[in-house]
Amino acid sequence: MPAQSHPEPTEGPSRRSMLRGAGAVGAVGIAAAVGVGAASGGAAAATLPAANNRAVAGAEHPADAAGAPLVVYLRDAASGELDVFSGTSHTVIRDPALVARLTHAVR
Amino acid sequence: MSSHREAPEISKDPVADSTDVYAFVSPDRPDTVTLIANYIPLQGPAGGPNFYSFGDDVLYEIHIDNDGDGQDNITYAFHFQTKLRDPNTFLYNTGPILSLDSPNWNSRQFYNVTRIQHGKSVMIGENLPCPPCNIGPLSTPNYATLANEAVHEIADGIRVFAGQRAEGFYVDLGSIFDLANLRPFEELHAQYGMHVFSKPADGVNATAQLNVHSIAIQIPTSELLRPGKHGESDPASVIGVWTTAGRQQVTLWDDRRGESVDSGPFRQVSRLGNPLFNEVLVPLGSKDLWNSLPPTDDKRFAPYVAHPELAGLLPALYPGVFPNLQTLVKAGTARADLEAILLTGIPSGIVKGFQNYTGPVQADMLRLNTAIKPPEKPNALGVIGGDLAGFPNGRRVFDDVVTIELRAIAGVTVPLVDPTYKPDAAAGAITDGLTATGVPGGYLDHFPYLGVPHSGFSTP
Repeated sequence: MPAQSHPEPTEGPSRRSMLRGAGAVGAVGIAAAVGVGAASGGAAAATLPAANNRAVAGAEHPADAAGAPLVVYLRDAASGELDVFSGTSHTVIRDPALVARLTHAVR
Repeated sequence: MSSHREAPEISKDPVADSTDVYAFVSPDRPDTVTLIANYIPLQGPAGGPNFYSFGDDVLYEIHIDNDGDGQDNITYAFHFQTKLRDPNTFLYNTGPILSLDSPNWNSRQFYNVTRIQHGKSVMIGENLPCPPCNIGPLSTPNYATLANEAVHEIADGIRVFAGQRAEGFYVDLGSIFDLANLRPFEELHAQYGMHVFSKPADGVNATAQLNVHSIAIQIPTSELLRPGKHGESDPASVIGVWTTAGRQQVTLWDDRRGESVDSGPFRQVSRLGNPLFNEVLVPLGSKDLWNSLPPTDDKRFAPYVAHPELAGLLPALYPGVFPNLQTLVKAGTARADLEAILLTGIPSGIVKGFQNYTGPVQADMLRLNTAIKPPEKPNALGVIGGDLAGFPNGRRVFDDVVTIELRAIAGVTVPLVDPTYKPDAAAGAITDGLTATGVPGGYLDHFPYLGVPHSGFSTP
């Protein structure tokens, strides 16, 4: 998928909104927790750096993502973007086709 | 309260809820500064069997700005880990806990301390044990001695302690949250025409028998300051301090494992610098946002400091008691005194012999002039009581911040910026009726300074 310019979020989703999003499956939000391997087998998604707004300096554990659960959050299906969380990392990928498959799968 | 349950979201997450921050020159080691960040508000001492502990999934931090830009130059980060000796018992302890490695203590907690400076993280304390909670004479006899074992000397002359303490912040919550009906003046309250109170009464300390969890660190002052002269009048002597708590961005309940799973980068969910800033000044609809922001964003909240809601309420709730304050509020005069105290520090020339100014950047930080040494006889009213080593020059554990801030908002500090203003007589007398001497847990004269926690057995 082609990478497109990614609007920098001005404010990351709050923990509470993430919790709400995780429980809500529908046209506007999908969250899925899957194994790391499952995600890497998907279509070639363009990875975009997540806006690291106010990441906590003392909390960087880049090595701990291996084997950790992977959580995908679809905030807005229309954007075609997915927030992918694993370990202490956050990556934004743009993959409208995957978004379409996910939204179709939960109908 | 200082910052206990002060915002809608964080009130649902006590282990990440910062309640008080203290920063002061250590009276018994005046070449050091003690920083304390309290979390987990309003602990009933008997709250077992899962007694209170820090969040293993929370990142606790204490930040120091030493150049006045509202950004941290030094951060101390604390990561906790709980370890069970025996998951097959429901008990916190299976016998008396006589030492920190007691085989009778089942649910123990340990922590690492990391210093972040110049973009580098250095672990300066590893696997340090916390004390248990104070349960009672059979489970935790000799509690004070046991807790003292949890004061750790780590790198470079630094001492740390993390664990339960008696709540040192005193406040009459019941009266303040009942429409600011301060008991010593309740007969003067408008009472909405109900005529319930006809005479003054003593204040009631709502936190008198409650505990809190403290993260305390004592650091050589020289490690905290930027280069320069470090006399009382020198800007380089002043530091800004605040605490934050962060959680990973995603939490999912894993129903197969019966526990939550966290993922993603840590994000700030709680912040605290000056007592009562978010609690009293920031409006309800903005409190959660404030908790998520750094001090450098506080300019957007400056209007709430310049025009505090409480300053308008006092003349309305106490008719005829605050006529000069009422005039000031009606005139729409911005409270430059409060902006200085809370957002920039007080420049030289305002209070004789004192300054804790950090520059024009408006940021809510507890500002401490480290060159001002502790007096032999401190005054809990701090600077407005003539004691330059007390709040708002940092904050000591016994400082009466409720009275200080009530009086400041009522107008007693306006003459600092407008000598023509005459405060109402009541502005210099307003209080919730409590003093540090009435705090039953008391205070220590040595690190970590907050008193021995109340025991579950002894506290109703």
